[in-house]
Amino acid sequence: MRAEFSQISALTAAAAHVLCFAGLAAAHALAGRGALVSDPALALRLVVVCEAPIVIAVFSYLRRDTQSCSFFKAVARGLIGLPVGAFLNAFGAIVLGAPVGIKYWIATIYWSLAMSLLTFVPAACVFGTSKIDWQNVLSHSIYFTPIDVENYMISAPCHGAVLGAWLGAWPMPLDWERPWQEWPICVTYGAVAGYLVGMSVSLVLIAVHKRRVRAKTD
Amino acid sequence: MGAAVAGWTVAAVLLQVAGLSLFLYGFFPVKPTLRGFSGEESYQVPSCGSVSAGQQEPALPPDQLRSLYRELSGIPPVYDRLVLMVIDGLPAEFVLGRGRKPPSKEMMESMPYTQSLLAGCKAAAYHAKAAPPTVTMPRLKAMVSGAIGGFLDVAFNFNTQAFLEDNLLDQLHMIGLKLVMLGDETWIKLFPTLFTRQDGVSSFYVKDTVEVDFNVSRHLEFELAAKDWSVLVLHYLGLDHVGHIGGRRSVLMTQKMKEMDDVIRRVHAASLLDNMNRTLFVVVSDHGMTEGGNHGGSSYEETDSLALFIGHSVESPYCSPYDQNEALQVDLAPTLALLLGVPIPKNNFGVVLPEPLNSLTDDQKLRMLELNSWQILRLLQAQVPAFCLEECINSEGSIVLDILHESIEKKLCHLLSKAFSSHQSSRLHRGSDFKSVQAGYYGTAADNYYGFLRYASEWLSHRATDKPLYLLVSAILLMTVSCLFLMSTVSCLLKGRSLSQVDQHSESYLDQRCHLDEVLVLAGMFLYVISLGSSSFVEEEQYTWHFLTSTLYLIFLTKAIHSMLKGSNPTLGHKAEESFDKSNFSYATSFELTPGKRNVYKLCTILIVLVAGRVIRAWHQGGINWVHFPDISKLLAQADSSVVKSLQIISFLAVVVLFSVSLTLLRARSKFVIGVWLTHIFCGFLVLLHICANQISTSLPINHSTASIARQFYVIASVSISATVLASPWVFPIFSTEAESASSGSSPVKAIHGIRNSLFLTGITYTAFWGLLQLLLQQPINAIPLFLIFLQTVSSVVHFSLDKTLHKQWVQVVAMQFLGMAGHFGLGNTNSLASIDVAGAFIGISSYSTVLSGILMFMITYASPLMLYLGLVLHVSVKDIDDISTLRHLKWSYILDKMVTLPCLFPLLINSLALTSYTIVLLLMRNHLFVWSVFSPKYLYVCAATVCTYVGVFVIAMTAVYNCAVFKFRARSYRDKSQ
Repeated sequence: MRAEFSQISALTAAAAHVLCFAGLAAAHALAGRGALVSDPALALRLVVVCEAPIVIAVFSYLRRDTQSCSFFKAVARGLIGLPVGAFLNAFGAIVLGAPVGIKYWIATIYWSLAMSLLTFVPAACVFGTSKIDWQNVLSHSIYFTPIDVENYMISAPCHGAVLGAWLGAWPMPLDWERPWQEWPICVTYGAVAGYLVGMSVSLVLIAVHKRRVRAKTD
Repeated sequence: MGAAVAGWTVAAVLLQVAGLSLFLYGFFPVKPTLRGFSGEESYQVPSCGSVSAGQQEPALPPDQLRSLYRELSGIPPVYDRLVLMVIDGLPAEFVLGRGRKPPSKEMMESMPYTQSLLAGCKAAAYHAKAAPPTVTMPRLKAMVSGAIGGFLDVAFNFNTQAFLEDNLLDQLHMIGLKLVMLGDETWIKLFPTLFTRQDGVSSFYVKDTVEVDFNVSRHLEFELAAKDWSVLVLHYLGLDHVGHIGGRRSVLMTQKMKEMDDVIRRVHAASLLDNMNRTLFVVVSDHGMTEGGNHGGSSYEETDSLALFIGHSVESPYCSPYDQNEALQVDLAPTLALLLGVPIPKNNFGVVLPEPLNSLTDDQKLRMLELNSWQILRLLQAQVPAFCLEECINSEGSIVLDILHESIEKKLCHLLSKAFSSHQSSRLHRGSDFKSVQAGYYGTAADNYYGFLRYASEWLSHRATDKPLYLLVSAILLMTVSCLFLMSTVSCLLKGRSLSQVDQHSESYLDQRCHLDEVLVLAGMFLYVISLGSSSFVEEEQYTWHFLTSTLYLIFLTKAIHSMLKGSNPTLGHKAEESFDKSNFSYATSFELTPGKRNVYKLCTILIVLVAGRVIRAWHQGGINWVHFPDISKLLAQADSSVVKSLQIISFLAVVVLFSVSLTLLRARSKFVIGVWLTHIFCGFLVLLHICANQISTSLPINHSTASIARQFYVIASVSISATVLASPWVFPIFSTEAESASSGSSPVKAIHGIRNSLFLTGITYTAFWGLLQLLLQQPINAIPLFLIFLQTVSSVVHFSLDKTLHKQWVQVVAMQFLGMAGHFGLGNTNSLASIDVAGAFIGISSYSTVLSGILMFMITYASPLMLYLGLVLHVSVKDIDDISTLRHLKWSYILDKMVTLPCLFPLLINSLALTSYTIVLLLMRNHLFVWSVFSPKYLYVCAATVCTYVGVFVIAMTAVYNCAVFKFRARSYRDKSQ
C-alpha cells in the first residue's frame, strides 16, 4: 500500500486545517468587520497576504513524496501553483459571468489568488505533478471509495470552496439592492463558507477512514 | 418499444396542448370590446341587432362636433375646463377616514385646505374602488376609459404602449380642447401625441421623493396663469415613493400630504379666479397602498383610492363627507364625460356619480342617467348578443315579479325597462304644478336608473376580472399528467438503456457512481424551476441560463481533463480509446486523429463553447433591472455604422467558411454535395447584397430592391433546403466502399454509414441555412452572436463525437438545449414583450400580412433554440450507435429508435417541466404585484417556447424518419437485386 509510507495522522490534518483557518481569521481581524463589503480588493488582498505563507508552508511540510522532494521544492511548487491556480479560477469565474470591466480587475485578481490558495495551491504543494492524485482531486469518487488521508484533506475543502462560490453567485441577480450582491463579495462569502464546511467534512471523513483502516488491520 | 414510446409521447403532447389552451382561456379572458370611438350615435337609443354599428361618419371639425354634441345631448356642458390631479398611491382613508369615522387628527391637520373644502360642502369625495392589478398604467387606463382591460390586449399590441381604446382624453381632444400634462411619463406612453405641452417625470428612482414632485410643481405657476389649455393633467408620484420607502406611517408622509394640500389650494384658487367659474377640479389617486407601502394586489388598503370633485356643480347646502361614500374608479370616466359634454367612452362600465351633478335640474340628471344607460346597453349588446331593448319593453307585461329565479339577462332587461318607463312617466309629469309630485317621479326614475346601472356595471366588471379557478386547476392537472407521462417514458428508456449497456460495456463506462454532469443537469433544472417563483429571477433569467450552461461545459472540461489524465496514465490505460471503430464516421476519424491530438481537440472545442458563450453573454446586458448597464451592443451602437457592417460581413464569411469546412469532412464529395455548397454560397451572396443595400439606403422606409433580394433568398433557400432533405438519402451509397470491400457487405455497422452521411448533410444544411436566414433577419448588431451560436453548435457536436463514452447521450441533448436557451437571451431577448424585434418581421414582405410577419417574428425571437434543435439533427448523425454491432440483420426501426428517441424526448421533457412549473407559479402568483408586468409576459414566452420545442422536435423526428424509410427501401431493393 502506497498509503502506508506517507500516512499522516488525523491530528496532523486537523492541525493543518486549524492553521489555515487561523490565517483566514487573522485576515478577517486585520480587515475589520464589513471590510469585504466596503472594500473587497483590500480585504481579499489581506486574505492573500495572510493565507499564502501559511498554506504554502503547511502543505509543503505535508508533501507526499518526502524522500524525493525537499521542502523548498514543494514551496516552489506552491509559488508556481499560486498564479496558475489563480488563472484557472479567474477563467472559470469570467466564463461563468464575472464582470470584466476595468473597475473589477483588481478585485478579480485578488479573488482568484485567494481562491487559488483555497483550492489549487494545497494540491500543488502536496501532489506536485502526480497525475493520479490530480485525477482524484478532479473527481468526486473519493467520497465513495476510500483512498487515503491526504486526498480527503486536500479535496474536500477544495470542492467545498468551489461549490460554495458557485452557490454564492445565485443571489447576485436579485433586485435587493444590497451592497454585498456585487462581484466578488457574495462569491467570496460562499467560497469561504464552503471551504470551512469542506474542512469539517474532510476531518469527519479522515476520522471514519482511520477507524475503518484500524478495524481492518485488527 | 419504439411505437409505444412514440404513442406515449404523442399522448403527452396532446394532453399538454389541451391543458395549455384551457389555462390560457381561463387565465387571460378575452372580453369582447367595442372598437372605435363613441360619436353622435351615443345620443340615440340603441336599436336591436345593430351591435356593430361600424359605419364611420366623416370626421367633423372639432368646433362643429362640439356644437353637435351639445345639441344632441340637450344639456349644455357644465364645465369647459378640467384639472385632473392624480396623486399616485394616496389611499382615500387618509382624506376620508374609514367606516364613517373621519381620519386621524394628524391626517386631518396635514391636509387643512382639502378638509376645509369637504367640511364646507364645496367638494364631494368618494372611496373609489380600484380594480386589481393596482399598478399605475392599468389604473390610468381604467380612469380615462371606464373599462378594465385584459392582459392579452396588452400583448396583442405589444409594439406600442399607446392607448388605442375609446377614452375620455381622446374624446376631449376630438372636440378641440387643448391638453397639458405634467407628471408621470406613463401618460405620455399612453397618449404620445395628445398633449400640447408635457413634462414627463420618471418613476424609476423610487428613492427620490422630492425632485419628482418639484419637477411637476415648477410648471404650475405658468400653467395656472396660461389660458390656452382646457385640460390640465397633474400626476404627482412623490407620495407613492414615500410609501415605497417607509410605508403608510412614514415620517415623510404628513409632509408630503401637506405639499399636496398646498398644490390643491393653489389650483383651486386659480380655478376660482377663472372668470365664469367653469373649471372642474378633480383630485384622484390611482390606487392605495398597504401598511408597508406596496401595491398591486387586491386588498382593501390597496384598492381604496380617492376621487374628489371640486367645482360649482358639486356644492350643496348639506353634506357628510366622512360617510364612506363608495364608488368605483371607473365611474370617473362617465361622470367627467357628461360634465364636459362629450360622449361616454364605448367600453365604459362605470356609472355617473350623483354628487357632482348637484346643481343640475332633475331633467338634466335623468337625461345624463339615460345617456349612461344607453352606452352600457350598447356594451351589454356586444357581450350578450341577444340582449335587446325593445324586446325588454314588449315583454314587460309578461314578467311578473318573479325576478329572483330569472336569468341575469332577464333581470337586466327588467331593470332597464323599469328605468325607461319611469323616466317616461317623469317626463309626462314635467308640466305638473306640484313640485312634490315631480320630485317623487324624479326620485323613482333616478332610483330605477341607478338600480339598472349598478347591476349591469357589477356584472360587466365581474366578467372582465373573474378567473375560473376550477378551470385553471384542471388545466394544470392535465399538464402535470402530461409531464409525468414524459418523465415515466424517459425513466423507463434510461433504465432499459443503462441495463443493456451495463452488460455490454461495463468496462467502457467510467467507474463513478453518479456523474457530475448528470447531477448538475438535475440540480440545475431544480434550481431553475425554483427560481421561476421569484420575480427578479424571471426578470433576469439570462443569468440563470448562462450560469447553468457555462457550469455544465466547465464540468465537461474537467471531465475531459480527467479522462486525459487517466488516458495518458499507462497503468490505467483505458480500453475505450482502442474500442473506437476507426471506420465510424465522425469529425475525428475523418482526420485520423491520434489520441493525443484528439484530447487537444476535445479541450479546444469546449473552450470555444465557453469563450463564445461569455462573449454572447456580454453582448447584450439583457434583463429588466440592469438593462442600462454598458455592454458590447451599446458600445457598437455608438460606434461608426461601418464597424457594425464589417462585423456583419465577418460573421457572414465565418458562417460560410464553417459550412464549407464541415462539408469537406464528408468524404463522399459527390456532385450533389458540391451543388448544395454552391446554392449555399449563392444564398450567402444574396445575404451579403442585402446587408450592403440595407446599409446604403437606411433613409428610405421601404426599399424595393432589398425586399426583392430578401424574397429571392427565401425562395432559393427553401428550395435548396427541401431539395437537400428530400434527395440526400437517395444520393449516398447505402454501404460505404470500404465496407463493401470488406468481408461481409451487409454488416449493419457499415450499412449505417450511408444514413449517417445523409443525416450529416441534412443537419449541416439546416443549421447553415438557418444561420444565413438569421443574418438576414436579425438586427445588424446581432450578427456576431449569431455566428458564435452557430460555432457553439458545431463545436459541441464535434466535442460529443470525439469521445462518445464521456457523457451520456441525454446529457449531450440537454447541453445543446441549454446552449439554445443561453443563446436566446444572448441575442438580446428578455422576458418583457418590449424586446421583441418587430422591425425584422417585415423584411421581404411587400404587403402587410399578420401571419407572415408573425412567423418571421417567431423565427427571429427563437433563432437560437431553433438553431440548436436543427443542430441536434447534426448531432444525431455523428452519434455513435454503439450496440448496433450486436444485430445480425439490419433493423431500421431499431436504428431509428436509437437515433431519435432521446433527442426528441428530452427537449419535450424539459420544456414540459418548465411549462408546468411555471403555470403553477402563475396560478399561485395571480394576486402578486408583478403578475401583469413580469409573470404574464413571461408566460407568453413560455408558451412560444413550447411551440418552438414542438417545431424543433417535429423537424428532428421527421428528418430521421424520412431518412430511415428511404434507406430501408433502398436496402431492400439492393438485397433483391443482389439475390
